[in-house]
Amino acid sequence: MSDKLKQIISKQAKQASELSIDHSEDIVQLVGFVIGEEEYAVPILSIQEIIKPISWTRVPQTPKYILGVFNLRGSVIPLIDLRTKFGLSPKKHNEETRFFVLKEGDDVAGFVIDRLTMALRISKKNIGPAPDTMAGDESMIDGVGKQADRILTILKVNKLLERDF
Amino acid sequence: MDEFQEILQDFLIESFELIEQLDQDLVELENTPEDLELLNGIFRVAHTIKGASSFLNFDVLTHLTHHMEDILNKARHGDIVLNAEIMDVVLESIDLMKALLYKIRDTSSDDGIDVAACVVRLDRITSGEGNAPASAAAPIVEEVLVQEEVSTPEEELDYDSMSDDDVEAEIQRLLSQRQDEDKAKRAAKIAAGESVPEAPPEPDAVEQEKKQEPKPATTVPVPVTPRAAPSRASREDEDDAKAAAPAKRAPAAVEQTIRVDVKRLDHLMNLIGELVLAKNRLIKINVDVEERYEGEEFLEELNQVVSIVSLVTTDLQIAVMKTRMLPIGKVFNKFPRMIRDLTRELNKKMELVLHGEETELDKSIVEEIGDPLVHIIRNSCDHGIEMPADRIAAGKSESGTVILKAYNEGNHIVIQIDDDGKGLDIEMLKRKSLEKGVITEKEADSMTDKEAFALIFKPGFSTAASVTSVSGRGVGMDVVKTNIEKLNGIIDIESEVGVGTSIKLKIPLTLAIIQALLVGVQEEHYAIPLASVLETVRISREEIYTVENRSVMRLRDDVLSLVHIGDIFEVERILDGSEHAYVVVLGLGASKLGLIVDTLVGQEEIVIKSLGDYLTGIEGIAGATIRGDGGVTLIVDVAALMHMAKSVKAKAMVEHSAGASKEKTKASDYTVMIVDDSKTDRMIMRKALEPLGVTLVEAGDGQEALNILKQGEKNFDAMLIDIEMPRMDGYTLASEIKKYNRYKNLPLIAVTSRTGKSDRMRGVESGMVEYITKPYSADYLSSVVQRNVNFKSEFL
Repeated sequence: MSDKLKQIISKQAKQASELSIDHSEDIVQLVGFVIGEEEYAVPILSIQEIIKPISWTRVPQTPKYILGVFNLRGSVIPLIDLRTKFGLSPKKHNEETRFFVLKEGDDVAGFVIDRLTMALRISKKNIGPAPDTMAGDESMIDGVGKQADRILTILKVNKLLERDF
Repeated sequence: MDEFQEILQDFLIESFELIEQLDQDLVELENTPEDLELLNGIFRVAHTIKGASSFLNFDVLTHLTHHMEDILNKARHGDIVLNAEIMDVVLESIDLMKALLYKIRDTSSDDGIDVAACVVRLDRITSGEGNAPASAAAPIVEEVLVQEEVSTPEEELDYDSMSDDDVEAEIQRLLSQRQDEDKAKRAAKIAAGESVPEAPPEPDAVEQEKKQEPKPATTVPVPVTPRAAPSRASREDEDDAKAAAPAKRAPAAVEQTIRVDVKRLDHLMNLIGELVLAKNRLIKINVDVEERYEGEEFLEELNQVVSIVSLVTTDLQIAVMKTRMLPIGKVFNKFPRMIRDLTRELNKKMELVLHGEETELDKSIVEEIGDPLVHIIRNSCDHGIEMPADRIAAGKSESGTVILKAYNEGNHIVIQIDDDGKGLDIEMLKRKSLEKGVITEKEADSMTDKEAFALIFKPGFSTAASVTSVSGRGVGMDVVKTNIEKLNGIIDIESEVGVGTSIKLKIPLTLAIIQALLVGVQEEHYAIPLASVLETVRISREEIYTVENRSVMRLRDDVLSLVHIGDIFEVERILDGSEHAYVVVLGLGASKLGLIVDTLVGQEEIVIKSLGDYLTGIEGIAGATIRGDGGVTLIVDVAALMHMAKSVKAKAMVEHSAGASKEKTKASDYTVMIVDDSKTDRMIMRKALEPLGVTLVEAGDGQEALNILKQGEKNFDAMLIDIEMPRMDGYTLASEIKKYNRYKNLPLIAVTSRTGKSDRMRGVESGMVEYITKPYSADYLSSVVQRNVNFKSEFL
């Protein structure tokens, strides 16, 4: 009995300490997703919503990675295929495919991702800078997040939403 | 300061409105100089602006209006008769007023515009000199006089020499004098005096405080009025009182209005747009529900609700659209003045007749339409109407007429500009265009009359022999075309040499919600603004000709150049339609183009939505709309499309060899389809062909085979087709396949147990190249296939 009590108490203490981390300023909340073999993440606050694939309309005279536009409750929003944009071969949409609707300021766009992983919290000290070869203003990579057994590439939302054609 | 800004804004809005009215009234007044009511009205306008501007310390403006007011006042009392010369000066002063108001709007101050010259001219008229016939003869001398007068305003100088205290005392004296007058009057009159007595002391006091130190002279204009002519001041006040009277006399003219920020209306319009989309969707769902639950009772109720919603939405849309509507008179109003000025400038005699000023159209369009109309009317006056002597020689009346009329035609408004001038000379137009290199000799020869008329809209074209200040720089009409096209409008010109020219502008009523023609190409749909669609025609392939590498067709007497929508929008064309195609004839401005589409879907009311920042500026796409099924359909930008059509190669209907020519490097590059409903038969054929190493695709019946072809994932080199199959037999399949351009040369081999001669004949008729009868040997089948796919022997 006392063992169990101890367990509970220690658990509570652990939770409390976790909570205290939550409130500290150095935590970044991200949502992770997979494209091809790699895991990427964007800040949770830049995500307007995540939806299952719906039909879209092709827009002519655009690069291949722009699939077209789709209707999100009355707004016409561009749809960008991140696989193609990252140089991977296109893949048929399946059960796990999602549209990530990202928003920054007035710019909104939908991005096709292969699979959603999870929402996660990473403390800032676990985020390293982008590799030197990829750093700079032009790069889409904001940094690299390390967590337990994996590495996440954190993307710059403003770069994703920037028209580059 | 904010409060001041607010007052300033109101002042500007009011003043601009008043001045617009003033312009028009004055021109009218010139024709009917004895119309006292009109004159009173004009006087009141000038007076109001004067009062307000003095309150806001716009001294230059006050100074100017004050002198103008003097003339009008004299005219009102019959002391002078307004003739053209006086009118010129008055109109000039109004122009100056406008310039000042613009200046105030932009800089919040009215410094920097010199009104002295104009004021002196005004004064001269007031003092009677202006009536002297020789007035035009010695402008320079008078100019000198002007300066003198300005620099020595008798009593005004006194103020300059006075000390501040003296000035204050003088002002005080004037104020009390005026207040006494007012008091006396107030006592005398009970009615309509309210605003008059209290208002003046305050502004004057404020003014006086502010001004004393920096520039004492500026206080002058305000107190001058009561002191210099106290008797007139009282007259003015009487007029103020009178002002209320005419307004009551014509109660119909008083409209109940609220000023609403345009942004709010735009927002409302956006919301209505959403509602229209929802309505479209509801109607579609209703149709689906009706099909599924036919005969159910609740359908009746649902139907009612849907039709009410749709009815109310439509009404609401019209109502909101109407709130944004302005009478086109707002634009037309400035033309009488313009014509009057042009008459004097060009030494021609012209009359402007306006019709349909009350015709309404969307605010945004009213704003855009002004410039094009100015150019067209100037053009008509300058190039169209002849000199009076020429007109008489031609047996016409001395004075030319320009008729400007507006009327509704369906969902469009038509603005028509007619003149009875010399008309457009086609030969002259062509010659000029050739000289300027606007067109080539060949084009000139093949040109229709309409096309020749449209030359006046080409950039760099001007037919005026000499460049006048009015027109002839070859810029104007080009602008007309661009602006009208921006509004999705159409320009139509008719002209007869010696009789006159008529230019028609056909413009949609609104820009946010439009009627569109939906067309299909392959699996995609596009919306074309109906305003730009002249007609649609169904043609067969044989009607398409190629001229100079461009596809064209004959449309009645015209030759219409054609372009396939798929070539413009990079649509992958897997199936190239049947023998027939639909051509949507687009008209924009004066040019036409035939757009080939696969299907016509229908007409629909669509709401224009932007594609967002990320996708702005995509050539050929004006925006998008959301359809009843929730999907997005792109809206074609007809002007851009016409431009793009020029650079698209003439492959409108030319057959594609569709990748079949791809080099074969190994046996499996050959693909053969086996179509048979019997699995055993398919297996036998497979066994016979497998040794070759070719890729084999199987289909259980004609329908399935056709679907595989439609998907277009593979390029087939031959097909083995059984004749008797369920769903679709071999003959039907063969003739279906032959309908597609891409498969025209695909060898179809019949494999059947039917051996009759007539069966063979049918096979040939439906497009089969070989006829193999069952049973057959594996070697025979293999050799037939090899022969038909041009199998390279090195793969064996």
